[in-house]
Amino acid sequence: MIRCDDVTKIFRKNGSEVTSLDRFTADIGAGEFVAVRGPSGSGKTTLLLTLGGMQRPSAGLVQFSGRDLYGLSPADRAGLRSGEIGFVFQMFHLVPYLDLMGNVLLASPGKPGPAVRKRAGELLDKLGLAERVSHRPGELSAGERQRLAVARALLNRPKLILADEPTGNLDPENAAEVVRHLAEFHKTGGTVVLVTHGTTADTHADRFLHLKQGRLVAD
Amino acid sequence: MSLWSHIFGEIGFRKLNALFSLLGLTLAVTVVVASQLLAEADERETRRVTRDMGFNLRLISAETDLGQFYRDGFSRNEMDSAMLDRLATHLTNNVSFNHLVGSLRREYTINGQDILLIGLSETYVAPGQGKKPMGVVIKKGTIHIGSEVARKQKKGRNDTMHLGERQFTVANDPIETGTPDDITIFTRLEDVQSVLRLEGKINEIEAIDCLCLTADQDPLAILRKEIGNILPEVQVVQMRTLADARAKQRQTREKVNQFVLPWVLVACAVWVALLAVLNVRDRRQEIGILRALGKGGGRIAGLFLGKAALLGLMASVFGAVFGTWAVLEFGPSLFPVTKKAIQANPTLAWQMVVATPVFAAFASFIPAMLAVSHDPAETLRED
Repeated sequence: MIRCDDVTKIFRKNGSEVTSLDRFTADIGAGEFVAVRGPSGSGKTTLLLTLGGMQRPSAGLVQFSGRDLYGLSPADRAGLRSGEIGFVFQMFHLVPYLDLMGNVLLASPGKPGPAVRKRAGELLDKLGLAERVSHRPGELSAGERQRLAVARALLNRPKLILADEPTGNLDPENAAEVVRHLAEFHKTGGTVVLVTHGTTADTHADRFLHLKQGRLVAD
Repeated sequence: MSLWSHIFGEIGFRKLNALFSLLGLTLAVTVVVASQLLAEADERETRRVTRDMGFNLRLISAETDLGQFYRDGFSRNEMDSAMLDRLATHLTNNVSFNHLVGSLRREYTINGQDILLIGLSETYVAPGQGKKPMGVVIKKGTIHIGSEVARKQKKGRNDTMHLGERQFTVANDPIETGTPDDITIFTRLEDVQSVLRLEGKINEIEAIDCLCLTADQDPLAILRKEIGNILPEVQVVQMRTLADARAKQRQTREKVNQFVLPWVLVACAVWVALLAVLNVRDRRQEIGILRALGKGGGRIAGLFLGKAALLGLMASVFGAVFGTWAVLEFGPSLFPVTKKAIQANPTLAWQMVVATPVFAAFASFIPAMLAVSHDPAETLRED
C-alpha cells in the first residue's frame, strides 16, 4: 500500500539543519497493523505526516497504492487524504465549536447526505458516544475525545489510519479501548500505522518499526 | 457540514473576536453613512442659508455702464421681460444657475421722499428643485416697505399707500436692516411696470449659481459662457463674496470628507485585518486538521472570507441604522434651517449592504491567504 524509498526530511531553521527522517525505506502492505516506536525526536511524527501526504519530504519517494504521493497536485493529494486516509492525533485536534456529530461530519468530503449522517451516528454509537451527540468536545473526557477522533477518522471508510500517539494522553483503560477500535478497523482489512511510546498496541500490531535519530533501525 | 454552519458555529464560539470585528465594521459604516447624510444636509443647509442671503448673480443689459450700475445700484437700460422667460426655459439640472427672478428697479419719489422702487417677478426654479420662492411672496395689491419709508411716511402693516394712482396695502412689519432695503418699496413686477409705465420691461434678472463647481474651475467664466449662449444681450455680474462663501463652505466639507473618510476606512480595515490575523492564529490547529481531512484551500479561505462577509453584512445593517439614527437625532441641532429635510437615504443603505461585505472580505483577504498557505504539518506536530 505504501512504499517509501530513501525518504529524507531535513528541517532548516536559523541556518542550522535537523534531519528528522534519514533515508527511510520501507513497504507497508495493505491490511498491516504497524507500530512505530522510538524515542522523542526520532522522527515518528514526521514519518506519519509524510505518509499521510501532509509533509513533503526533502528527498526520496513516497508511493501510495502505486502513485507518487508528492507527484500529485495538492487538490488530488487532499482528495486522497479525504477518501482513503484517516488521521488520529495525540491532542485529538477536534473543532471546539462543533458538536460531536459536527466533528465527525467534518470529515465528509462534501455536504453530508442522509447516508453519511447515518454512518456518523452509527460510529458514535459504536464508540460509546451516542448519548453525547449534541455535546461539544470541551464537555468530553480525554478518552471520549479520542474516541470521537477515531470516529471522525473512520467516517469515510478509509484504507489507512495514521495514528500519532493516540493513547499518549489517556489512562490505560481508555488507551486500551482506543487501540481496540483501531484493531477492529484492522480486522476489517484496514491498514493501521500507529506511532506509540507505550505497549498497549503490542498485542494487536503485527509489525514493529523502530526509529532512532530519523533512521529505521529495526523492522 | 456546510460552510455557513461552520462559520456560524465559529462566530458563536469566539464571540469576542466576532464582536470586535463587527464593532469595527459597524463603526466604518456608521461613519460613512453619517458623514454622507451630514454632507447632504450640509449642502442643503448651505444652499438655503446662502440663498436666503440673497442672489449672487445679477444679469443686466450688455449696454449698461457698470460705473452707473454700481453708483445707482441698478441698470438704467431696460430689457424685455421675454428674456426672463427665455432664460427660464433653459433651467435644468445641467446648468450652473438657478432661482431666476426678474426685476424692475428705479428711483421714485413718494410724498417728497426719494426711495427705491423694485418690482419682482415670480421665481423660476429648475424642475425637481422645489417651488419655494426666494424671500417673501408679494401678494397682489400689497407692498413691502423699508423701515425708513415706514418712518417718514408714518406707515405700518395693513396701512394703505399710493404709488402713482394705485393704492396698495403694506403687508410687512418694517424692520431696520442697515441696507438700501430700508428706503425701498417692493411689490410685484407688473405693478411697478404699471406705475412706471414700463409694461413688459425689466432691468435685471437675479439668480443664484449652483454648488457644483470645483476649486480649480472659474465659476464666473462658466456662468458667462452658459448664460451668454442663451442671452447674448446681457452681461453677468457675480457678487463674489457670497459666491466665494458658498464655494468655500462646500469645498471645506469636501476636503474634510476626503481626509477623514479614507483614514476611518483604513483604520477599520486594519482593525478587521488584525482581528482576522488573530483569528487565524487561534485556529491554526483547526486549519491543520481541516487540511488533514482533505479540505482544500478554497474551503479554508471560505471560512475566513465568508465570516468577514457575514460580519460585514450584519455591520452594514447596524451601521446604516446607527448612522441614520445619529444624523436624524443630532442633525437638526446642527442644521436648524433645513432640519425637516434631513431624512434616511435608502439608496445609501443598500449601497452599504453591498459594499461592506466586500470591504470586510477585502480587509480579511491577507489573513485568509495566510491561513491557506499555513503549513498544517507545523501545527499538527506541535503535540
